[in-house]
Amino acid sequence: MDERFSGFGAFILYTITAGMMVFILAPLLLVMAASVSDSYFVTFPPQGFTLKWYAKVLQDRDFLEAMRLSILLALGTTAGSLLFGVPAAFALVRGDFFGVAAIKGFLLSPLIFPALITGLALLQVLNKLGSTDARLNLLIGHIVVTSPYVIRTVVTSLQLVDENLEDAARTLGANRLRTFWRVTLPQIASGVAAGGLFAFMVSFDNYPVTMWLANSEYSPVPLVLMRQLVNVFDPSVPAMSTIIILMAMVGVLILEKLVGLRRALAA
Amino acid sequence: MKSSEVRLERLSKEYGRTVAVDNVSLAIEPGHMVALLGPSGCGKTTCLRMIAGLIRPTSGDVFVNDKRMTDVPVHRRNVGMLFQNYALFPHLTVEENIVFGLEMRGMSKADAARKVSEALSLVQLSNFGKRYPAQLSGGQQQRVALGRALVIEPAMLLLDEPLGALDKGLRESMQVELRALQRRLGLTTIMVTHDQDEALTMADKIVVMRDGKLEQVGSATEIYQRPASKFVAQFIGASNLFEGPVEQRNGSGAVIRVSPELSLQVDQLPASASDAMVSIRPEAIIVERAGQASSAQRANSVMARVDQAIYRGFVSHYYLRTPSGGQIIVFEQNQSQQAGLRYAVGEEVVARWESPSNHIIARH
Ligand SMILES: Nc1ncnc2c1ncn2[C@@H]1O[C@H](COP(=O)(O)OP(=O)(O)OP(=O)(O)O)[C@@H](O)[C@H]1O
Ligand SMILES: [Mg+2]
Repeated sequence: MDERFSGFGAFILYTITAGMMVFILAPLLLVMAASVSDSYFVTFPPQGFTLKWYAKVLQDRDFLEAMRLSILLALGTTAGSLLFGVPAAFALVRGDFFGVAAIKGFLLSPLIFPALITGLALLQVLNKLGSTDARLNLLIGHIVVTSPYVIRTVVTSLQLVDENLEDAARTLGANRLRTFWRVTLPQIASGVAAGGLFAFMVSFDNYPVTMWLANSEYSPVPLVLMRQLVNVFDPSVPAMSTIIILMAMVGVLILEKLVGLRRALAA
Repeated sequence: MKSSEVRLERLSKEYGRTVAVDNVSLAIEPGHMVALLGPSGCGKTTCLRMIAGLIRPTSGDVFVNDKRMTDVPVHRRNVGMLFQNYALFPHLTVEENIVFGLEMRGMSKADAARKVSEALSLVQLSNFGKRYPAQLSGGQQQRVALGRALVIEPAMLLLDEPLGALDKGLRESMQVELRALQRRLGLTTIMVTHDQDEALTMADKIVVMRDGKLEQVGSATEIYQRPASKFVAQFIGASNLFEGPVEQRNGSGAVIRVSPELSLQVDQLPASASDAMVSIRPEAIIVERAGQASSAQRANSVMARVDQAIYRGFVSHYYLRTPSGGQIIVFEQNQSQQAGLRYAVGEEVVARWESPSNHIIARH
């Protein structure tokens, strides 16, 4: 936007924007504040200042194990959903086969279905298939729920790519794979990056699907957090949450540095 | 570069019930430049893309030097193609764009670098190698695209309205430049255009298309002077079209009665014809003041009133109206010392022309 808003309209607009930001950020700030409270219960306003809860969390074997699992799971999920989602998006946009619209609807459906139901359905299917490895089941489940994010961002950025570029590459001697790699992919890099980041974050803090597929041995962070919340509601829970919030912020900053957030999300 | 002979045999492409290209057969001589010309949607692009291999024909075949290409994928056909929007890779520099095709052929870095600099000087962009496409003007971008297409030493050059996005002056100079380069390289070239001037300027042979079919194939003069159909007569240049029954036979010719005040003497008419359609080019018609001309009823001559007169620099356009309401278009070349229009609106004139200017349209 080149033109600045001014006058009364600007006042209303800025007020509403500020209100929305407070509404979105306040709970997060509350959690962060609570994490440094020098008390044995979560209180607000925080009493005193201490980093001991962080020290406690960083020595908590359960939490560290859950972190390791969650990060590996999110990385695997990101790779898997990109590996599945990017070609799927390509087929949906460039493909000219019967039922493209129906298949697109199907692939995006996990965005609409309640995740709780998706998780239960996945559990049943995986049980029927005899898949008992919780880690594998979690990976499959997370790829199912995150792929739609990748597909959606990649489809949108693919639609903006001039098909003549691909045709030009092919006449110059590039087969379809090299055309995709050398010409198409650089055009959709921001969409792919945004989809990947979404996949990572959605996997990292997914509860409803994870709940069905995890077991006591392999519990990702959201489950551990929930358990802590129910059992011992001391400021170590906000400390864990703050760590996750900071991770998300780092992810967003990386994306911003790499491709520019605005471009990535214009997808 | 060696020149290729390109042959299309009964080439068709259907999209559902739309027939985009309908049974097109065409032979293109090595080193020739052929223009596919026709109105929007007549199937020019589809035809060109089938030759490139970007679209698979529903039926029919493409041959290059008598080798059947129909099943050869695009990337092995070695065709150079130019697109209306240039289609330069935006994330690559000019040099990287041009070297792309050589990389795909696995050429060594040193050889490729030499070829790229040759190509850059061929298209007069030697100092622009490090720029990105977005930093070039439209004309420069199309020259990069040309360099990129030529550097792979293609078997043929395919152009889809390559100059369509340029302004008139630049387009005309690029037409001449492109044509000179194509001649020098002896490169078989097929160009798509809906601009008849471009086709007339550049092509050895013009292929007029309509509704997916070939309407007429010929040199610029053949197409212009002897249009095979009413469509061609009207699509290429302007035409006065008259139609009427045979009134009288004289030798191999005949007199055609168009209206009470106008009859046409044609020199050749098949004996079987009982009526005829005749086209007369506007520049073949001579206009005279009504008083000066003999008013006796002759063939190829008619009284008329000036309806509209337009001065256009080296030529004036007159729109005449005959007593029975027919319109005649006349283009008259202006003399350098002439002061404006020779006839005023409303003036009574006689329009006449020689009988060889009466061209019989075979297909109505
Ligand atoms: N992918 C497609 N699916 C369906 N119909 C198509 C497709 N491509 C082209 N057509 C149809 O085929 C016909 C010929 O199209 P084509 O693009 O070859 O025309 P053209 O002569 O190049 O026109 P223009 O001068 O406007 O570029 C048109 O009626 C068009 O609507
Ligand atoms: Mg076209």
